[in-house]
Formats: sequence, structure tokens, C-alpha cells
Amino acid sequence: MDNLAPLSGIRVVDLGWLTAGAASATLLLDLGAEVIKIEGPGALDPFRDWIGAEPGTDWWNHSPFYNFTNRGKSSVCLDLKDPRGQAVVLRLLENADILVENYRRGVLEAFGLAPKMLREKFPRLIVASISSQGSDGPERDMVSFGSTLEATAGLAALTGPSGGDAAITGRNINYPDQVVCLFAAGAIISAVARRDKTGEGVHLDLSQRELTSFLLGEELLAAAAGAPSARLGNASRDDAAEAVIRVDEGWQVVWSTGAAPVRDGIAVAESEKFRSGTAVLQSPDGIAAKGVPFSFGTWPASIRRGGAKLGESNVAVLQEAGLSMQEIHELKEAGILAEAPRRGPAR
Amino acid sequence: MTAPYSGKHILDLSAFAAQRPHALATAMACKLLAAMGASVFRPIPASGDPFATLAPMLPDGSSAVARFLLTDRIALEAEDHRREILFDAAIGDYETVSASHALLRVRFSVFGPGDDPAMSELGLMALSGILDATPSNEGEPHRLGGHQPAYAAGLAAFTAAAAGLRTSRHDFVDISIFDVACWLNWKAAATVVLFGREAAIRDKAQRGGWHTMRVMDGHIALVYMNKDWPALRDLIGDERLREARFASQKSRGENMDALNAIMAPWFGARTRAEITSIAQAQRIPIGPVLTLQELLSDRQHSARKFLMRNGEPRTPLMWDGHAAPWRDVEVDNHG
Repeated sequence: MDNLAPLSGIRVVDLGWLTAGAASATLLLDLGAEVIKIEGPGALDPFRDWIGAEPGTDWWNHSPFYNFTNRGKSSVCLDLKDPRGQAVVLRLLENADILVENYRRGVLEAFGLAPKMLREKFPRLIVASISSQGSDGPERDMVSFGSTLEATAGLAALTGPSGGDAAITGRNINYPDQVVCLFAAGAIISAVARRDKTGEGVHLDLSQRELTSFLLGEELLAAAAGAPSARLGNASRDDAAEAVIRVDEGWQVVWSTGAAPVRDGIAVAESEKFRSGTAVLQSPDGIAAKGVPFSFGTWPASIRRGGAKLGESNVAVLQEAGLSMQEIHELKEAGILAEAPRRGPAR
Repeated sequence: MTAPYSGKHILDLSAFAAQRPHALATAMACKLLAAMGASVFRPIPASGDPFATLAPMLPDGSSAVARFLLTDRIALEAEDHRREILFDAAIGDYETVSASHALLRVRFSVFGPGDDPAMSELGLMALSGILDATPSNEGEPHRLGGHQPAYAAGLAAFTAAAAGLRTSRHDFVDISIFDVACWLNWKAAATVVLFGREAAIRDKAQRGGWHTMRVMDGHIALVYMNKDWPALRDLIGDERLREARFASQKSRGENMDALNAIMAPWFGARTRAEITSIAQAQRIPIGPVLTLQELLSDRQHSARKFLMRNGEPRTPLMWDGHAAPWRDVEVDNHG
């Protein structure tokens, strides 16, 4: 069955965190790639203690949002701050097609994994760097979460009541973190397509802020032509009937050919169309997990493998990369290879 | 230099889509494939191009949406796409694409094949909960600027088409624009599905805190994590912020109006640049709300050559430090 997958035979080393990096790799997984997620015993994906992490338990294996996003990946827990850990990653990259990362700029270099070096050492490798501002520029190091980028990319200026305050999606969505995954996966697959023709890998530098501005392309053109749009609230220039109106049960939207209730998360989750759709699917282990936003005739949207515990794939992945059991044992003894973090949950 | 999809022939059926979200999503997916070197053919119906009147309009009377989305298309006679030309992929709404000849058929619908009721982007944002994420002070939810539901579905189609083109076999891929919107807004529904209804109600009450604040010259996005609170509190320097009711993320969420009232004068007395500079020095992810006009001369976008003089953004992707290396070569060859 797996040979029907569009990305069958493609291997991804995933250094992605939270949504922007990790969920981009998950989309590649959903298209049939094998994804090996690497975290460090001192540097876990922050989703692992985002919510519900109880001290005194193996909280790192039970994070609902982490498991929701990373289901189906192999898990390796390796200290990338140690040169011996870095050497193992280089071994893994010998047989990898793609590296995905969204560390703070400069961290990959600090791990001895600078994209330029990786490109020279592995000419066929596709290194995908997803970052807030991009890999260079005067604001490369500006600290931003998704909703910061809504502000600095122009989206907030066009969101919110006409004549009132600009608005961001905040903790609820962090829109640029979500939408970047849909683009990054396609960009990475396009780089694979080019490599299939040329044999050449590439370093992809993907700025979430640029993508968010790009998704307002017509507004940038209008502004440059001296005809900038004002913040319009819920009005539409293409359909004068569009509006949000208050009704007994809350809010409703109307447009020229229809109407719909404004749902909160509960109403969404309980709606028939959501439950029969693919945005959230069941993992084989029976747990609800991040779904798949497309479905092929030959490769229907589904989750084919459940979550892995931290470091569960350590031995299998390292052995497959050619390390002996003796070498693996020594890495474990040195604390470079682990199955538990070195710290308690962040509170 | 070889482009990813040079030699691939794509049929863009955006002008034939019965609904606007499907049309815009189609055009976005095709724009990206064209940017990656595909030959994208776009037939236009005899009645004219429905994109020609989509706002915003430019001073020359043309549509900025059309200008943005429809670059690098190859014109095609209206009926040609129904003839026996085999395209590598066709993209459009379910009905139109199903009637086309293509190895890969990328089909948009609202809820799924055959489930395509009349829908607007505002309706999609309402049904998926995206609208509920941006309430104003008066409680009215507000749409995201631009065409986010349609363009996000276009990005999903771009990724799906890229994957499907790799296999070079007869196949189809269905994209529900509603499912894409729910996928973007996963946290709202996942909180209910994973933790239960009561937990979701509590979470919503405590989740506030990230919003914009009025400042001397506009707005800033007040974005911070729990770990950033002590630094933010000390920056503002009002002793009332040390009260127990503001000590945790949960309690700040429950006392948001009071918290904002205390913080507002500090923000209101400073500019976006001052606040951003002070906050960034403490690694607090606060940033200025920039207008589209301001972005035209934004130093980060300028340094990365993101915008052309006419405001058109390049594809937001650099390849070994270059915008689209295969285009550079083409320009050189012709120059």
C-alpha cells in the first residue's frame, strides 16, 4: 500500500518544533514520507509541556498537542549540543532526502549543522529552514510568534472593525504558524522534483512573514499603485450583502447567496461536517490527531501510525544508519542518547 | 537552470469555477506552480474573465487580484480544455475538473465531492471558527483581511499537486475548503476533542491576552508568553501589575479588562518603534502593526528583495539564497 504514496521512499529528518516546523514535516509524512523526529534531552519540542504536563510522571510522552501534531513519526532523542550527537545526525543525513528545521536563526550553525556545510557535504539533500523573518536581513533575529507576524506582515492592519482597532488571531490560531505548513510542504516537494531532474539539493529559506504578506499580494499591489485599502471590518467590496449580524444565539454571517452561524471551537467540533471531514482524524491508537487537508484517490487522507514515545526509535534508527550496538550503548551511557528529558516540565 | 516543473502542463480552470472561493484557491495553486516553472494554461469563458472585476481595483481600472494571481499564464481558447489535450494536472472546482482531461485532477469543493453548497469566504471563516478568534471589544467577530480561506486552500492544493505530479499517474485529489479552514484552526476543535467541552470553555476564558494595543502612532501586537510576564510587567512599571490577580496566565485572562486598563497609558504614550525596541531587547515578541503602504519600504522586505517596485511580492521562498535561480538564468539568456 505504501508504494502508492506520493512521497514513498522519501526520508525526512525533522528538527521542527511546535507547529511551523513539526506540522510541515507531518504533511510530508501524510504524503507517504518516512519522518524521523530528533529532539534533545535538554531541548524538547516545547509542545511536550505546553499543556497538561504533570511533574512526577513521564509527562513528555503524554502531551496531547505534541502527540496530536507528531503522530506517525519515529522519535530519536539525541543531544545535538554534543559533538558526538552532531556526528550521529550527520550519519542519519547520509540516507536522508530532506532536513526540516525551524530553530531560532543561528542555532543550526551552533549545532555544527550550518546549511552551507550540509549542502557541500550532502549535495542531494534538501535543507528546509522555516523562520519568522528569513535567514538574513536586518530583522532576521526579531523575536516573533505567529501573531507578531500578523502585525508586521500587514494582516492585522486589514483585520478588525472599520475605524476601530487592528486585530490579531492571538493564541487561538497564530495564523502564520498554520498557513506556512501548507506552503512549506509544497515548496519542499518542489525541491525534490527539481532534484529528481538535476541531482541537486538546495537550501530553502522560508520566511513566515513573507508568506503572510504574500497572501495579501493584491493589497500590496493596490498600495503601491496609490490606492491602498482601508480596514473594512466585515464588509466585502465584492458582495455588498456580506455582514456579521447579532442573533439570539450569538452571531451569524450573511452574504448574497447564504448564511452561516459563527461557531466557536465547541460548535465546530460538534458539527457534522467537521466530524465527517479530514481536519482532525483518528490515529490507529484511537486518539484524535491532526488531520490531512487533502485526499488522493489512490492515497486517501488517513493516519497510518500512532505516536512514538520519546526516543522510542533510538536503537532502530541508529542501527539502520550503521551504528553498532556498542556505539549506541556508549552514546546512552554518555547521556547523549536518551529516552527522557533532563528537566522537569516548564510551569 | 532547471525549474521544478519545467515541461509540466497545468490546466487552470479558475475562470470556470462556479464559486469565488474555489476560483481564488485554484488561481493561487496555479500561480505557485507557474512560479516553479510549470506551463499553466488558463482558458477564459466567452462571457469574460470573472477575475477582471475583483476588488481592489487599480487606478488603471484593472483588478489587483487578477494582476497578482494570474501572472505567467498561457492563454487558451475557451473550448480547448474540453478537447483531448492531456494535461499533467487540471485544477478547479469539482464539477469543472471532473470533465477535463488530465492525469491529475485537483478538485475543490466546500465540504467534499458532491457537497458544494453556495458558500462565501466569510461563511467559511464562520463555520470553521476562524472568525471567532478575532472578536473586537464590542464582541463582534471579524474576518481576516484578504482572501485567507481561499488562498490557504490554494496552498494546500499546491502541495497536493506537487505530490501528485511526482507520481505521474492517473489520480485525483479532493480538497475541501472547509476542511482546510478547520485544519488551520485546529487548536479550537482539538481542545474540545482532546480535553472535553468544559475544558474548552475554561480555556477560552483564560486564553485572552494576545491582542493589539493602541499606541501613539497606531497599534502594536501585544504577544507574550507566561515566562515573559515579569519582564513585561517591569517594563511598564505599574505596581498594580504585581497584584495577585495578574500573577498567572489564567488570572490575567480572567482579569483582562482591568489589566488592559492599567497597561493602556504606558502603551499610549509611546510609538510603535519605541515599544518594539524596548520589548525586543527583553526578547518579548511584541511587534508593530504595519500598514500595507509601510511594508512597501519595510527594511526587512527590502533587504530580501521581497517586493517589486509595483508592490508585487515574489514567491516567499529562497533557493540557496536566490529568489528563483531558473528565472535568473532565463533573464541572463535573453539579456
